[in-house]
Amino acid sequence: MRKNLTKIIIIVASVLLSIYFLYPTYKDSKYTRELRGLRGEDSLKYVDRNENAIRDARIKRLKLGLDLQGGMRVVLEVDVLKMLEATAKNRDDNFNSILADVRKEATTSEVSLLDIFKKKFQEKGIRLSRYYGNIRDSDDDIISNLDKLSTEAIDRGMEIIRNRVDQYGVSEPTIQKLGGRRIIVELPGVSKESEVRQLLQGTALLEFKLLKDPEVSYKIMDTIDKYLAGKGITDTTGGDTSKTKPSSPTGRKDTAAATAAAESLNAQLPKTEAEQAKEHPFLFLARPDQRGGGEAYVAEEDRDKVTRLLNRDDVKHLIPSDVEFLWSAKHLFISEGKRYYVLYWVKKEPELTGGVITTARATIDPNTNQPIVTMEMNSEGSRDWARITGANINKRIAIVLDKAVFSSPVVRTKIIGGNSQIEGMENIDEARLLEIVLKAGALPAPVEIIEQRNVGPSLGEDSISQGLFSTILSFVAIVLFMVVYYRKGGGIADLALLFNILFILGVLAGFQATLTLPGIAGIILTIGMAVDANVLIYERIREEAVTGKTLRAAIDAGYSKAFHAIFDSNITTFFSGVILYQFGTGPVQGFALTLMIGIAASMFSAIVITRVIFEVMMERGATAINFG
Amino acid sequence: MRLFHETHIDFMGKRNIWYTVSLITLVIGLAAVFVRGVSFGIDFLGGTELVLRFDQAVPIGDIRSALDKVGLGRSEIKTFGSDRDILIRTSEQAPGTTMGDMMRETLKGSFSNNSFTVLKEDKIGPRIGYELRRDAVYAVIATLIVIMVYIGFRFKFVYGVTAVIALFHDVLVTFGLCSLLNGLSPYLNLEMTQTMVAAFLTLIGFSTNDTVIVFDRIRENLKIYRSEDLKTIMNKSINQTLSRTIITSGTVVMVLIVLLLFGGEVNRGFAFAFLIGTISGTYSSVYVASAMVLDWTQYRKKKLQAIKAAA
Repeated sequence: MRKNLTKIIIIVASVLLSIYFLYPTYKDSKYTRELRGLRGEDSLKYVDRNENAIRDARIKRLKLGLDLQGGMRVVLEVDVLKMLEATAKNRDDNFNSILADVRKEATTSEVSLLDIFKKKFQEKGIRLSRYYGNIRDSDDDIISNLDKLSTEAIDRGMEIIRNRVDQYGVSEPTIQKLGGRRIIVELPGVSKESEVRQLLQGTALLEFKLLKDPEVSYKIMDTIDKYLAGKGITDTTGGDTSKTKPSSPTGRKDTAAATAAAESLNAQLPKTEAEQAKEHPFLFLARPDQRGGGEAYVAEEDRDKVTRLLNRDDVKHLIPSDVEFLWSAKHLFISEGKRYYVLYWVKKEPELTGGVITTARATIDPNTNQPIVTMEMNSEGSRDWARITGANINKRIAIVLDKAVFSSPVVRTKIIGGNSQIEGMENIDEARLLEIVLKAGALPAPVEIIEQRNVGPSLGEDSISQGLFSTILSFVAIVLFMVVYYRKGGGIADLALLFNILFILGVLAGFQATLTLPGIAGIILTIGMAVDANVLIYERIREEAVTGKTLRAAIDAGYSKAFHAIFDSNITTFFSGVILYQFGTGPVQGFALTLMIGIAASMFSAIVITRVIFEVMMERGATAINFG
Repeated sequence: MRLFHETHIDFMGKRNIWYTVSLITLVIGLAAVFVRGVSFGIDFLGGTELVLRFDQAVPIGDIRSALDKVGLGRSEIKTFGSDRDILIRTSEQAPGTTMGDMMRETLKGSFSNNSFTVLKEDKIGPRIGYELRRDAVYAVIATLIVIMVYIGFRFKFVYGVTAVIALFHDVLVTFGLCSLLNGLSPYLNLEMTQTMVAAFLTLIGFSTNDTVIVFDRIRENLKIYRSEDLKTIMNKSINQTLSRTIITSGTVVMVLIVLLLFGGEVNRGFAFAFLIGTISGTYSSVYVASAMVLDWTQYRKKKLQAIKAAA
């Protein structure tokens, strides 16, 4: 028993670990099933009561690929050709024909599009400066400029998409850059594809909106709060740690009246959690800021709840018709591990829309060494901007992209000539983000969908049930075969196979990897391949036993002599898996992953687990094990 | 229980017959590819593909005439599993997803009393199609090279080369048979898609399993039976490992049949290709690889003897 103890401990530990990783998946399916049985009010109550647990299970569960849960996968790319077209001046027939040539060649060429572009111009002997930039710019200068433009365009595209997807409220979206030019967006569970496509392709909407005066904002929130308290609408999120007042950012101008209003609101909050929640159902979630800015801070987990409350018909009546609420695009700060977003109250009608911005740049102010963003406007924008800033000194204007507030600086002076400077950012990264946002309003480089895969939910469900059925059936088939052909040895191999499958699923869940339909095929394939190692070992044991060796000697010889063959054959399949993982996308990668994990797991269970079982059996006095 | 009692089949003696069989299968397969061409799925062609589930079955002709009104009458239209599910594919390109939108709008208008849901919708731009084709070829070549190097390293170089030749043979046979049997039954869709390429790549890695089993035994027997000649040793090795090779392939064939019958439309092509490949692979590892090593060794020996005689 002693020498096998380590092995047994490792095995038990692996099993426990796998179960631990898979537990959230079980819980998640339980919650989903329960929710499906409830309706309307009941289901909302259920969600509120168990919100944290449900969210936790959802995050940690085994991720299903888009082909199993339904959803959309889109690959976007900067349409460099359109960008070249849009930014060129004095386009003529020559230009258009060159562009057509480039378009044709680019499809099957390994050379970058801009290089093909440059080459075609050189072939015709025309300088690029005829259509771009200054007469003094060399071709290479212009090309590198255009290159920079297209990289910026991708960054802009990503920010815009991220913003929109966030607002649309998809669960577990993935947005990634691929190479330098492409964005991959995965939206699981999305059913209204037409809406989503709008999301991804339309031009971004940049607006400048006035923030309401703080007293007005506080009054609105107070009214809502009192109304909801009166209606007895509580929102108990039981088991939450005490919500200490989040610390406010610095640098806000405030008026004495506003501070007083904020303080009086905050002073009304009594001590205990549950009481607070009951007496101030709204203010408990949306904490007014300390500096009298008129905004409220809401923890990330409460954002949806607050939106729900504010969208109720009866609550909507309490909000003046010229006012609306907006969320900040990013969280403002983190307190006690929670991210806090800002709730703004703004005038519905925008003062200015984004088409007027000609350029923006993030830089460091030489005087103050602080990050700032400078922006310029066209002539009509400058006129309006002068009027707006003149009329609203010391008030705040929110810079809103696609309905999310990216910045809300204070207007210090009247701005003539359209050249403004925005301050108040924490670091240069924030400034760069704002620069991207400001430029997004005028997007000269459209982003095009070059690949789209959309799986409807019904196909996904079909696939899951087919996958499950075939897995079980193939498992049963193999189990029967092994028991019939290899008797007791076969039975033990089957036990190891069970562990095998457990490990594969556990590793997938533990690494947050995705299970796809080909991935299920990979598991089934592994079931067939896993027993191969056992077959090799058992055939060898049979061979050795026939030569008259004792049971122990035969088993030892079987394992050691078969090892080389097992290792070599599994490694080659593993190599295939690695190369396949590099080559494939989406579902195929899922297959490669399960294949590789399956091979590793099956080697472990065939060589270690079965061996341990045999050793234990022999120590208990078995003198003959039937290997069929 | 035993299916294979001690066998003494003279595999190596009969190898010329089996070379011929291999060659004939290869030729048939390649002829099929030549004549029927390779049918690519949308992954490699590029274009738009739509799979719709109608409430009631629709004759394909009706769909075609509906699409003809917007110039898409030449699209490929077929059933996808059941006769309520229709697959429509065109390789024409359009910006963004306009092609798919147009198809759906037209069909919604033409079949107003027979609503449908979208099961699947794919659009592949021209560039992506090209890249996938290119990457697929690279992946297959890379895998073959990696395996040749590894086997050559673990055994002798000539073993690595013959193993890869055997693999190549398997891939070609499978490829040819897929091309030949594509569309034989409406339930059997064997177009080249990413999943099919995955089948080939996995097959390449898996097929070596049998080859390795035989090579490993040959290596062991060479050490034990030093006095006997290569041909006898090879025969002995193959006979000894016969049950091993057949059963390990057998278990995989078992699960593949389950996958083929019950695994759903998407995995069907994969299961079929892998099935053919495994059967071919078992045969080629028993025969092609070892036989070629034997012939190569004998050829080398003859050359050496000729040189010695001349000296």
